[in-house]
Amino acid sequence: MRKASMDGFEDMVFGKPEVMEDRPTHFCPGCGHGITQRLIGEVLDELGLQERAVCVASIGCTVTAYAYFKIDGLESAHGRAPAVATAIKRCRPELVPFTLQGDGDLASIGTAEIVHAAARGEKITVIFANNATYGMTGGQLAPTTLIGMYSSSTTGGRTVEQAGYPIRMSEMLATLDGPSYITRVSLHNPANVRKARKAIELAFRAQLAGLGLSFVEVLSMCPINWKIEPVKARQWMAENMIPQFPLGEFKCIPEVEALKKGVKG
Amino acid sequence: MPERTLMGGNIAIAEGAILAGCGAYFGYPITPQNDLLEHMAKRMPEEDRIFLQTESELAAINMVYGAAAAGFRSMTSTSSPGFSLQQEGISYMAGSEIPAVIANIMRAGPGLGNIGGAQGDYMQCTRGGGHGDYYLITLAPSSVQDMLDYTMLAFELADKYRNPVLVMADGFLGQVVESVVIRDRVKKLPEKKWAITGAAGRPKNIINSFEMNPMDHPARIKLILQKFERMKRNEVRYEGLELEDADIVLVAYGSVARSAMTAMQKARLHKIKVGLLRPITVLPFPYQPLSDLAGRGCKFVVAEMSAGQMVEDVRIAVGNRNEIKLVNSWGGVPLTADEIFEAIDLLA
Amino acid sequence: MSWEITVSGFGGQGVLFIGRLLMESAFHSDKEVSWLPYYSGEKRGGMCTCFVNISDERIGSIFITHPDIAVAMNPAAMKILEPAVKTGGVLVVNESLIKNKTSRRDIKAVYVPTVEASKEVGDESVGNLVALGAVIANSQVVTTTSIIKVLNQILSKDKHQLELNKAALLKGCEYS
Repeated sequence: MRKASMDGFEDMVFGKPEVMEDRPTHFCPGCGHGITQRLIGEVLDELGLQERAVCVASIGCTVTAYAYFKIDGLESAHGRAPAVATAIKRCRPELVPFTLQGDGDLASIGTAEIVHAAARGEKITVIFANNATYGMTGGQLAPTTLIGMYSSSTTGGRTVEQAGYPIRMSEMLATLDGPSYITRVSLHNPANVRKARKAIELAFRAQLAGLGLSFVEVLSMCPINWKIEPVKARQWMAENMIPQFPLGEFKCIPEVEALKKGVKG
Repeated sequence: MPERTLMGGNIAIAEGAILAGCGAYFGYPITPQNDLLEHMAKRMPEEDRIFLQTESELAAINMVYGAAAAGFRSMTSTSSPGFSLQQEGISYMAGSEIPAVIANIMRAGPGLGNIGGAQGDYMQCTRGGGHGDYYLITLAPSSVQDMLDYTMLAFELADKYRNPVLVMADGFLGQVVESVVIRDRVKKLPEKKWAITGAAGRPKNIINSFEMNPMDHPARIKLILQKFERMKRNEVRYEGLELEDADIVLVAYGSVARSAMTAMQKARLHKIKVGLLRPITVLPFPYQPLSDLAGRGCKFVVAEMSAGQMVEDVRIAVGNRNEIKLVNSWGGVPLTADEIFEAIDLLA
Repeated sequence: MSWEITVSGFGGQGVLFIGRLLMESAFHSDKEVSWLPYYSGEKRGGMCTCFVNISDERIGSIFITHPDIAVAMNPAAMKILEPAVKTGGVLVVNESLIKNKTSRRDIKAVYVPTVEASKEVGDESVGNLVALGAVIANSQVVTTTSIIKVLNQILSKDKHQLELNKAALLKGCEYS
């Protein structure tokens, strides 16, 4: 883990995870997706899952997630990644499929698929990047856009009259009996990035233990569409998104609780 | 004598799929194909295979995609409104070259329509329905034996071309019970080196319909289009009855082909020289044999349970050379041999 | 030889069941057969029809417009089937629900009080088997023996129903 992948740098203490391709990402400056995907890469290395993990990409900025990992991967139609991952896991239980979905994909067009995959307790892992906007299409109103927040389709700010309220997916899914682990983490500072990594590792460990759907909601920056410069975007996220989307575990069944001691700090 | 058994049309599709080595079935209840789903619910676990009743037809088609991507022969079945919902998924499968079988047991539309059998999805089943440049093979059974045989064939063709294949039947065929001969099980399934099986001891496999570099997309599509041309060239299938001396050619598929056969026999008793051309593949459509018959001077009666959809394909084959008469029903009402005979009689 | 048979009535009158018995018994005599249920949308009590083809040849149409044998179990079925039966054909009429008679001279009409006859054998629920008995008594489409064989298979787990159905079938055979 975290060994140098480049020759000639024997003292290197930080490099790309083994499981990640040596290629630049297509993400915008200050975007959270690259961090989330790197954390997944670290966890796949840690758990030795390169030969078993399957990346189920979705539509949005995660559309090419499979391009960044040296693991099998496939695209899925908008919102349907949990259905695709369900089928892969049921057909090949030895594989470890995970979906990477944004808020438009998971919390809008794909609500049926995530709710039912969760209700059935599918043995898959879902990484949900919530950046309160439709990043790929240019920053339109998302199901998670905050009240008053600018979007390219609510240029005067989201109003309740026009667009109702943002959806808290983690809280909603936690009402179901199927999932084993549901948590919300944030990428706004290094301490929270480390917590996010632990949550992602625990989610994969839950799947490896044969437990029901594990779900990590990652609050993630989108400086370009928020029209806030990257450093300030982190602070903005902490101050504005976390009150609407509080961090913490919403579900952790005892079997998952027991797995926590295996997760390194 | 081979073993015969009585079976319903929908059940024959299910059993054909099992014989063909279908490893995963996903479906959602919709009349008139519910007995297919229920049969699979019982049979797939008996065979130690995957069955899941899904939250929607959307989920079903995307699970079929996932299971097929994982290298399993997989299928779903539905009826017209549900089939509409699946178009996006079918386009994705065609675009990412995923083999799968979809059975559409058609009912009357548009909209909620009627649970009676119909053939109003002909255009949707032969002209895409989903987005983008793609092509399918669409098989049209006309008996319970066909339901079983064509489902097996559908799996074979799907794997041969790495492409979705449709089995398009009307609701009446789904419900009818007839005797069938059970075929041998497919014992050896094709190896799928491209499948999602875990990147162990090989480079990773990626399944997508997308190129990171947009300039690469046309080349990818060109390869798929070449494959579609091979499908068009190699896979045309039809049944011809009494075409040798026919002056009038009936063109019909599905349950209507059966009514047409009876109408043909009645016409022959009336000394009218009638033959029947029954497309087995409505896509690719048997344009050439119809064109040849037109060249011989035949007139055509097209019989279908729709406002007139297949008749447009017959028009493409025949052009303005000869008369084409449409006899049809719609709204979930069967087309009877009497009605088809009347159309023949008017033309004779 | 081929037979086209239409049975029609209310859902719940056992219309599909007697069609199935005809189909299965013919199938066991190595005939080509088809059986098609045709009904309205209601889950219970709507109109229900079944078309049965029995033939030595490959079967064409699975729909039947002019049956050789028709069984009308309710007035709506009578209205459709009475004019449709082929010349020389047989029309079995459920006299318990249908009060009118046919004026056609070119068919054989058999009037059967299925409800009353069914009660006579112990239960009013097997009127359909009485009607089937009348079909067999007035045609050579299948034999009572072959129908009883099929009944023995289908109802092997319910001896009471089996005996009731057999008795009703034999009762129906009296209407020739």
